[in-house]
Amino acid sequence: MNETDQTGLSKFAGNVKGLANTFIGSVFRNGKPTSDKTRASAVFNNFFLHIQGVKTHINTLRPSYTLGLGLITFFLLVIVVASGVFLMVYYNPSVENAYQSVKNINQVVFAGKVSRNVHKWAGEGMIVFLFLHMARVFFTGSYKAGREFNWVVGIVLLVLTFALNLSGYLLPWDQLSYWALVIVANIMQSPKELTDSLGLTKYFDVGTYTGNLFLGGSIPTKESLNRVYLFHVMVLPMVIYVVVGLHFWRIRKDGGMTKPDLFNTKASDMGIMVQPKKSGGIFPTHKTYGLMELARGKTPAVDKDVENTVMSWPNLLIAELAVLMFTLAGTLIYSYYMDAPLKEFANPLIPENPAKAPWYFLGLQELLSYSAFMGGTGLPGLALLGLALIPYLDREQDNVGVWFTSKMGKRIALESMVISIIVIIAMLAFAVNFGWLRNWFPEIPQLVITFVNPGTIWVGFMMLWSLCTIRRTGSTRMGAMALFVMFLVSYLILTYFATDMRGPNWDFYWSKSQWPIH
Amino acid sequence: MYSRFYLSVLLISGLLVLAYLGFTAYDSFMPEWMSYQFEYRDYLTKNAKDDAAKKLARALPLEFTQVYLGEMNKVDRCTNCHMGVENPLMENTRLPYKKHSGNYLVNHPVDKFGCTVCHEGQGSATNTKEAHGKGHDTHWDTPILPLAYVQSSCAQCHDTNMLSKSGGDKVAKGEALFMEKGCKGCHKLKGVGGDLGKPLDKVGRQPIAYFTMKHIVGEHTVFNWLKQHFDDPRAIAPDSAMKVKLGEGEADLLTTYMLTLRPDEKPKSYRRINFNEPPVQNGETLYKSYCSACHGDGKKSLYDEVFKRTVPAIMNPSLLKVMDDTNLDKILKEGRTGTQMTAWKKTAAGLTDEQIKEIVTYMAANRPADRPEPFRLAEFKGDLSHGKEVYDLRCAVCHGTNGKGGEDMLGVSLRSKVVQKMIDPEVLAITVRDGRADTPMPAFGSDPFGMSKQDIADVVAYIKDFQSGGGK
Repeated sequence: MNETDQTGLSKFAGNVKGLANTFIGSVFRNGKPTSDKTRASAVFNNFFLHIQGVKTHINTLRPSYTLGLGLITFFLLVIVVASGVFLMVYYNPSVENAYQSVKNINQVVFAGKVSRNVHKWAGEGMIVFLFLHMARVFFTGSYKAGREFNWVVGIVLLVLTFALNLSGYLLPWDQLSYWALVIVANIMQSPKELTDSLGLTKYFDVGTYTGNLFLGGSIPTKESLNRVYLFHVMVLPMVIYVVVGLHFWRIRKDGGMTKPDLFNTKASDMGIMVQPKKSGGIFPTHKTYGLMELARGKTPAVDKDVENTVMSWPNLLIAELAVLMFTLAGTLIYSYYMDAPLKEFANPLIPENPAKAPWYFLGLQELLSYSAFMGGTGLPGLALLGLALIPYLDREQDNVGVWFTSKMGKRIALESMVISIIVIIAMLAFAVNFGWLRNWFPEIPQLVITFVNPGTIWVGFMMLWSLCTIRRTGSTRMGAMALFVMFLVSYLILTYFATDMRGPNWDFYWSKSQWPIH
Repeated sequence: MYSRFYLSVLLISGLLVLAYLGFTAYDSFMPEWMSYQFEYRDYLTKNAKDDAAKKLARALPLEFTQVYLGEMNKVDRCTNCHMGVENPLMENTRLPYKKHSGNYLVNHPVDKFGCTVCHEGQGSATNTKEAHGKGHDTHWDTPILPLAYVQSSCAQCHDTNMLSKSGGDKVAKGEALFMEKGCKGCHKLKGVGGDLGKPLDKVGRQPIAYFTMKHIVGEHTVFNWLKQHFDDPRAIAPDSAMKVKLGEGEADLLTTYMLTLRPDEKPKSYRRINFNEPPVQNGETLYKSYCSACHGDGKKSLYDEVFKRTVPAIMNPSLLKVMDDTNLDKILKEGRTGTQMTAWKKTAAGLTDEQIKEIVTYMAANRPADRPEPFRLAEFKGDLSHGKEVYDLRCAVCHGTNGKGGEDMLGVSLRSKVVQKMIDPEVLAITVRDGRADTPMPAFGSDPFGMSKQDIADVVAYIKDFQSGGGK
């Protein structure tokens, strides 16, 4: 009896002693990742890591290929969610208290100001990096070869990111947010211009419906604040989590990152990975097996690139951790020095002059100043549709994974950039100097201006130029390249133009410093 | 062994993250006000009289404080820096922990009133720049009031009677100036006053964006706008028609008074208003408040540079001689269309019938005892065509060929409702015959003009015919 007791107790003591190891072992069931087998299971047995392959192609690890842009965007989302939850603790979504609660976050909450800045800049950074990521995917042709739908999912993410940023803009309830939302409400009601001139408004007033859906009225009120808050902290985040999950899942299922058909490792690749150590595994060293190698489809390991893959643990994980830390550092440093704006308490009686939408919509606001329908609905709708259709209209499958496809691609991209810069600046200069049809023919029907204005002419030119490029080069990829470059350039130039050069009453000024003092 | 590139990115970024998290934490642990609290404690410790006091001072907690004023929905955090405002030991120290001057805090303890009730500024802010609300980039509409104007806050709870006796003399003086300088001749306040200028209700709390700050020297604040606008109205608002003749320091007094005009009412428990009947204004003060800005003392007609027209001498004995009280009363009530003279009746500029009567009585005090020699217009029959000849020869020079007078003309409009409908033609005839002393209107009945009685009757008939479409 005594003996059994001792055995029991010593067993217990042994269990207590080994508690740390057994607990960790129960969480990570595969032991220390010392061999390829355990490294593989470290990835596929882990709930958070298993969305990634066990093995990663070296091309994916090259910083010059992905530039880490997609990951940066994702990590910015993580940062935004974390800081957003922190802000939610103190924010009060009511017209009476919203402004003062934001002031209190700035004034007395521990690290509140920096947290608010981080939330703001990380959110707007998402837009910037989303565009950069999109450009990277486009220029490397990564929307091809089975990845067509994931490109469309990406466009959905772009729209969701815009919506999240926009809904957050109203929450401080200051002059800036109030009047920006008035502009956005106008953008939402822009279909009215078309239905008005067609005489359809009394049957189907779609402009008012969309405005009402977002703001609960035609101008921002306390109804809007409730609604926008709900969108901002619940509806849109939930949707974006699901869509981001889908986006990542599709990357895996569509065969991982693209890579060039002719891939050779370089000496510099040694700097981005761990030398494979082929020891301690159960598999023969001259052969590699991963779980995914037994599955159907284009997995990284089935194809001929087997030699050019390395274990995801630790190669990919270190790279990802580095990008996370880099993103965190960038956001934190930027937020430490740049304060998120907070103006006077919202006053419906004092319009900001100029009242401007958030910067990422200012290109639209410029187009809106030519024609409400085209700037608010027609052209952005066309742009999104055009972007989403790119993979289906350009189905050439060669040179996927190569920056700009070919030498000609580089030339076409450069050429389109120069042409679009010249044309769009000329167009803006014309509109600023001479005005538009309404100035010359005051009686002209609005419908004509809706369809013939600098915005539509510019988009028409873009499409025409793209078709010419297809004809000239005999390649749809080149046409898509021209169109995409021109889209990026016009977004950039219109945004800059409307931010800095449009002053009070939407008049032209050479720079912000020349705006008249009120 | 491990990937050099990513590891170095990880390391450098990680160090930066740590550093900036550290900076952020430091800024939150050591805000600007904390250093003032340290200084305050050091000062108290150094100047403690005995050991007990020293011990007490040393134990002074350095912590975040705020005054919450529930009734006013305000929170003031000023005392985080201004720690010594109620401490008599801090009499001769420096700002921010210096004791409050005077004995204001005896009746206005900080824990009941806070600071921004009187001094304005942004009470909830926790750094100097934002708390004082100075500069455009603080986006705060009520920056801290300069001491010259701070009395304007007293009027939120105290009436002028009380203020004139104790500590609020500037408000009382400002209000007296406001009445005396005739501001309400052009500006409405609480519904009473002329309509040439903007109404002044709430002007002291109007957002900065309501004012044109383009020409303001220095900070773009409401009080700077008011002060500089009193100094030179057209330098600040180029199309202003405002007249100001202010003595040394009076612009500041008026600014102080303007700042008392606020829309928000303080809670009852704060207010100490005696609800005395406002002082009854007699004819003379009423005249000063509502008439003197344009008419001056009313003895002489004045050419107004801004209006570009002659303002009649309404207390001129020769005018009063022909105008009886009924006529004056009518003009005051209905105003003169086509001129700057507004209708002062209750439903327009807001003066009561009694007040207008007071003014008329005051004006009539100058009326000479002797009545003018009657003209007996009824005995003549006016001839319109001869009247037109006479009019074009004698009257059109000043009153215009169409009788409208107006800009750049010396004469008043003869087409106004008053001339056409209210004034007895007899009065017109006498005026033409005798003229108006001290105004450009000469006596046409005597040399060198020598118009005959018939001429005058014809011209009066011609003028009276304007209302039925004559003289176009």
